[in-house]
Amino acid sequence: MSNTAVKEEKQKDEKCSLDLCPSRRQFLFASGTAMGAIILSGIPGLSNAAKLEAELTRYPRVKIGKVSALKVDKPVKFKYPARDFENLLIKLGTPAGAGVGPDKDIVAFNALCSHMGGDLSDAYKPEHKILGQCPFHQSTFDLTKYGMIVVGHATQSLPQIELEVEKDDIYATGVFGLIYGCHSNPMRV
Amino acid sequence: MSTPYYLAEDQIPLPPPDAKTFNICCDYCIVACGYKVYRWPVGKEGGAKSNKNCLREDFPVAGLSGKWVSPNMHNIVIADGKPHHVVVIPDADIEAVNLNGDHSIRGGCIAQKVYNPSKPTRDRLQRPMVRIFGTLMPVSWDFALDIAAEISKYVIKNHSENAWACKTNSYQYMENLYAITRFALKDINTPAFAWHDSPNIGEESAGIAFAGFQTFGPGFWDRANADVLFISGTDPYETKTIQWNEWIMPAIREKGMKVIMVLPRRTPGAAFAEANGGLYLDVYPGTDSVLYNAIARIILESNGQDMEFIKKWTSNFGGELWETESGFGRGTRNTHWQWITTWGKLEAKGFEDFKKWLLGEKEFEINKASEITGVSVEKIKKAAEMLSNPDGKKKVSFGYEKGNYWSNNYLNTTSLGSLALLTGCGNRPGRMMGRFGGHQRGGLGGGSYPGNKSPDKFGGRRRLTMDLDRWVESGHVRFAWVVGTTWVSAMAGSQSHMDTFNRLTRGNPHQVMSLLKEDIIDTLKKKVDSGGMVVVNQDIYLRDPIGAKYADIVFPVATWGEENFIRANGERRLRLYEKFYDAPGEAKPDWWIVAQWAKKMGFEGYDWKDSNDVAEEGGRFSRGRQDNNYDALVWMAKKKGVRFHDLLRKFGTTGIQTPAIIVDADYKYDRPGAEFTMSKQMRDSKDIQADGYKVIGVARLQDSEWKLPDGHFGARYIDPKNLTSFNTQSGKANWLKSPWDLYSDFHDWTKPKDDELWVTNGRVNEVWQSGFDDMERRPYITQRFPEQFIELHPDDAKARGIESGDMVIVYSDRIAVWKDSNMGTNALDTKFSNLQKEGHIKMTSASITAVAMVQPGVKKGVSFMYFLHPTQPTNSLQSRIGDPLTGQYRYKVAVGRVKKIGESPYKHDFRTLTFARRDVV
Repeated sequence: MSNTAVKEEKQKDEKCSLDLCPSRRQFLFASGTAMGAIILSGIPGLSNAAKLEAELTRYPRVKIGKVSALKVDKPVKFKYPARDFENLLIKLGTPAGAGVGPDKDIVAFNALCSHMGGDLSDAYKPEHKILGQCPFHQSTFDLTKYGMIVVGHATQSLPQIELEVEKDDIYATGVFGLIYGCHSNPMRV
Repeated sequence: MSTPYYLAEDQIPLPPPDAKTFNICCDYCIVACGYKVYRWPVGKEGGAKSNKNCLREDFPVAGLSGKWVSPNMHNIVIADGKPHHVVVIPDADIEAVNLNGDHSIRGGCIAQKVYNPSKPTRDRLQRPMVRIFGTLMPVSWDFALDIAAEISKYVIKNHSENAWACKTNSYQYMENLYAITRFALKDINTPAFAWHDSPNIGEESAGIAFAGFQTFGPGFWDRANADVLFISGTDPYETKTIQWNEWIMPAIREKGMKVIMVLPRRTPGAAFAEANGGLYLDVYPGTDSVLYNAIARIILESNGQDMEFIKKWTSNFGGELWETESGFGRGTRNTHWQWITTWGKLEAKGFEDFKKWLLGEKEFEINKASEITGVSVEKIKKAAEMLSNPDGKKKVSFGYEKGNYWSNNYLNTTSLGSLALLTGCGNRPGRMMGRFGGHQRGGLGGGSYPGNKSPDKFGGRRRLTMDLDRWVESGHVRFAWVVGTTWVSAMAGSQSHMDTFNRLTRGNPHQVMSLLKEDIIDTLKKKVDSGGMVVVNQDIYLRDPIGAKYADIVFPVATWGEENFIRANGERRLRLYEKFYDAPGEAKPDWWIVAQWAKKMGFEGYDWKDSNDVAEEGGRFSRGRQDNNYDALVWMAKKKGVRFHDLLRKFGTTGIQTPAIIVDADYKYDRPGAEFTMSKQMRDSKDIQADGYKVIGVARLQDSEWKLPDGHFGARYIDPKNLTSFNTQSGKANWLKSPWDLYSDFHDWTKPKDDELWVTNGRVNEVWQSGFDDMERRPYITQRFPEQFIELHPDDAKARGIESGDMVIVYSDRIAVWKDSNMGTNALDTKFSNLQKEGHIKMTSASITAVAMVQPGVKKGVSFMYFLHPTQPTNSLQSRIGDPLTGQYRYKVAVGRVKKIGESPYKHDFRTLTFARRDVV
């Protein structure tokens, strides 16, 4: 994705797409991809509360870049699923968990450390395909393995942005994991 | 048990404003970060606005707020019989330890520790069980305890109390340890007693203690206020994470503190230290003492020692030999002096004598030392330069842990102590020596060890505490009570140990085949009389093999969060860990189990109503200790007419840095770090003032610059000498020699031959201890470490055709086991080469599987494994040979061959196990 394209996307974001603007939201629901998430509530095995409930979680579907514009190991920043939530779109050059594109190597992650919210947006280490060390407390995350902690303190993997490719366009369609600071991800329905 | 399939959640319920709040600390490492538990009934939730949730925060919260709740911080429990949500998050308002609400990955996930029948903790033990036809079957408490009591009485009467053994954890809360030791040591009075991490209950780090250092003297403040911090045998980033995050790392970043770290593997902390003006010394396992003496030699040759300190604070400087003659200065009753000092090899008469000895030892010459230790000449010189302190202006602190004293116990600890003294480390703020620690400090002695009954004795006159593993190996144990430890897989030479346990338990012809109590007792008596061993295992999960295969009786235990308990951390900080939910099924705390059992055997004084009763009774037994002495708080609680637990609850998660001392109410303790001894609110509180006195905590022990208050009332509670001087008769530190030939026979025999590699082991940041919680019952951690691994240097891996993700076997047929209980008559009879000569050693073999991880951080020629894997125990590869002077095992020292047997499923899988480098800065 060229810088101009990113800028355009950003402007678009600011105008409407990632604001909680109702018409946009409705559009997103219509086109959004369903992402399965299992929510446990109650305690199965207990006489009065055995209840296992599966729920579909939806997020906005937002175009965030083009496959042809990505260069290996050159991260591109984008906002998702709402403004103020910065992510990195990276072509790793090696296949990765949930990787998209012809080489299954395009991934995207939220850029806030899932330990205490450190900014990882400039912490990509191309030679190791990891994000980190976090400037706060040195956590590192493996981007080929669904953002798994390599070493450090985060209590969940780095939230991964679910991607889809349609021709040359890359769309963000969901978030795996809770973004640092939130009790429920923004735009989650 | 959990599978490695972790599904990230993307929302959590927030605690509503009326959620109940509890204080607790993390259950795991010795740093013991403070946490808050918020609990509320299932069916309601708080909101994102600050007035709608109990955290009083608007969500989303900012970075470093310490108020974020991650999905792993939430769980559901049963409390008062009803389902409740719980959120367990670091206490951002704490005034010490985990400042700013920081947390490790282990503590951050601790909400997943609790019993939840819909989660991987569902297999918690809930009922007492007795083995019949080889299967453990639920029974009642009375039924199981009657059998345990009857067989105990029978064994003691017919085979003596020496045949009744106790193998217990030493840390799982003071109330429990008080009850366990009172029962086993005072009432049953058995010498067959050992802690979870050692074959005996001897000195852990003798060299440090004999020099006069209090092993838990420093506070975290001291480690953040040195100019140079020397760390031996541990990386606090990996194992004492928040002490690193909030104390050591900020001192490196903001104050320019330099850290020297000694390890066989470049860990993240070592890499960070190195990148910030520090030094990483890549030592071969077990050779630290040569390295420390070589550094000391360069310091002495260049007159870099802190001579003012040495003159003032080390023994015999002016030739007054009385300072060490009386048993290394600790008095004849407190030390193993009779077997250490009478044969003239280890004690130095004073500084000059020590210097003369050190300069005369050929192994400490720099080139020879470099060859033995594997550390380059340049690095040794650089370390000496960083530690030199001729004008005494540099503040040097030392800390050490198991890489040091679990490899070459006596020599590593003595050489480290002497090196520290040369640099002016000791008894002043920022210049402290101490352990970094492993488990939290939950010990409390309810009885003293009957040393005169121990069969073990070393050259000289004194007996040593019993080596329980050799006592079992020799067939002398007929009843074994195992509390909260895996025993066999935790000790050296695990697989040969399993052989012995199998023979003594499952291999005995007398197995229970009736549920009539009389039949069971009759059969177990026959088992005992025919040389078999009855095993009672008390734990929170059924551990394999000790519970699953060997135990005749299993007792289910209530633990963290299921009872009110007290415990101290690595800077002697005492806190109340509050009960916040119901223990599963019929699980009971250890103290309760002990009380019922002891009463059934006719012992008196076990009529405790609750854990507070036990803690209050135990208070006076903490008096003799310099650390964790809380008797003053029990005294104060009585004066105020409140229960001790309730008084301690007021100290919150900040707690109080013990020893708790009574002083005049107007006395102001203002030593450096005083602000961290307890919260500001408590320092000013009337709750700890009575009769013109008040309670204070202490920032550090052995603080020579502290002038004790005139109105000091502490003598009743603590020996005031230890607050301000070294723990020796003269109050000065002792010089100790560490001659390499005490260990070199074992080193030369052990070191890798042909294509063998060193196989050392340790903790990793993401997993605590045996992993019964995180590795086995936490999908988020299980995906990270689904099984045992072995880190190999790229050159060593390539030479064996091994890549990351390959499945390998690690094996050895050179595992020496000291096979019998025998006495040393002459000095050094217990040295390895002498044991070999006298026929006390048998050769065994072992093999375990692991997933290869090629990591440039591990030293070439050395491999590294996780130290206590539940099913692939690396301890199997270690020789079961104790230190000749202390009996401590050499867990970190083993060798083995590594061979590929195929690929693991993780090699090409994205879900589990990462092979990325750990030491990226």
